[in-house]
Amino acid sequence: MRHFLVMMLFAALASVVFGAVAKDTTSERWQYGLKVFAEFMIIGLVLGWILYFIP
Amino acid sequence: MIKSEKISMSAVEHPPTSAWLIAIAAWFVPGLGHLLLKRFGRAILLGGSVWLSFVVGLAMGGHMFSLATGQGSSQLLQVPPMIANLGSGVLYLFCLLFGAGFSDDPQQAARATYEYGTTFLLIAGLFNYLTVLDAFDIAAGRKS
Repeated sequence: MRHFLVMMLFAALASVVFGAVAKDTTSERWQYGLKVFAEFMIIGLVLGWILYFIP
Repeated sequence: MIKSEKISMSAVEHPPTSAWLIAIAAWFVPGLGHLLLKRFGRAILLGGSVWLSFVVGLAMGGHMFSLATGQGSSQLLQVPPMIANLGSGVLYLFCLLFGAGFSDDPQQAARATYEYGTTFLLIAGLFNYLTVLDAFDIAAGRKS
């Protein structure tokens, strides 16, 4: 559980920074930040499950 | 070429001195660059992310890099992560001065959160480089 929370914190921090830096309008920043957060979480979970089955 | 194009091109090619000073301030104290530009929201979001990432990384027992942490040829391998750590500015320099986060302690390395902490410390510096570039662009008039 701790690993998941750390991954969530990392994804949240990265999405805040990327969202604030990358886009011009507030709505675009929100969209981009949420997209980056979702990508981090989904890719992290997928990689976690792939590695789970690799001895 | 009309006069306004000349002016805008020279502004792009030669950013004002204040933009460089803002960038240095933004590097030295994460968030300060945006504070000086009166971009309080960005200062809290970007500077806060850097500070939080750094503090969390340190609390997890993460390790920072300097030229003194490697031995022999492995010293060169310390340079890229050291550059990332250096991005944290005064936070890195403060820890370097007081030796916090630089010790090669096996007990510290055995902690479950050691690698996470090291990654957070690296990321804090890299976040701050993005913050510096953002503050510089705003100060130079390249970004609103």
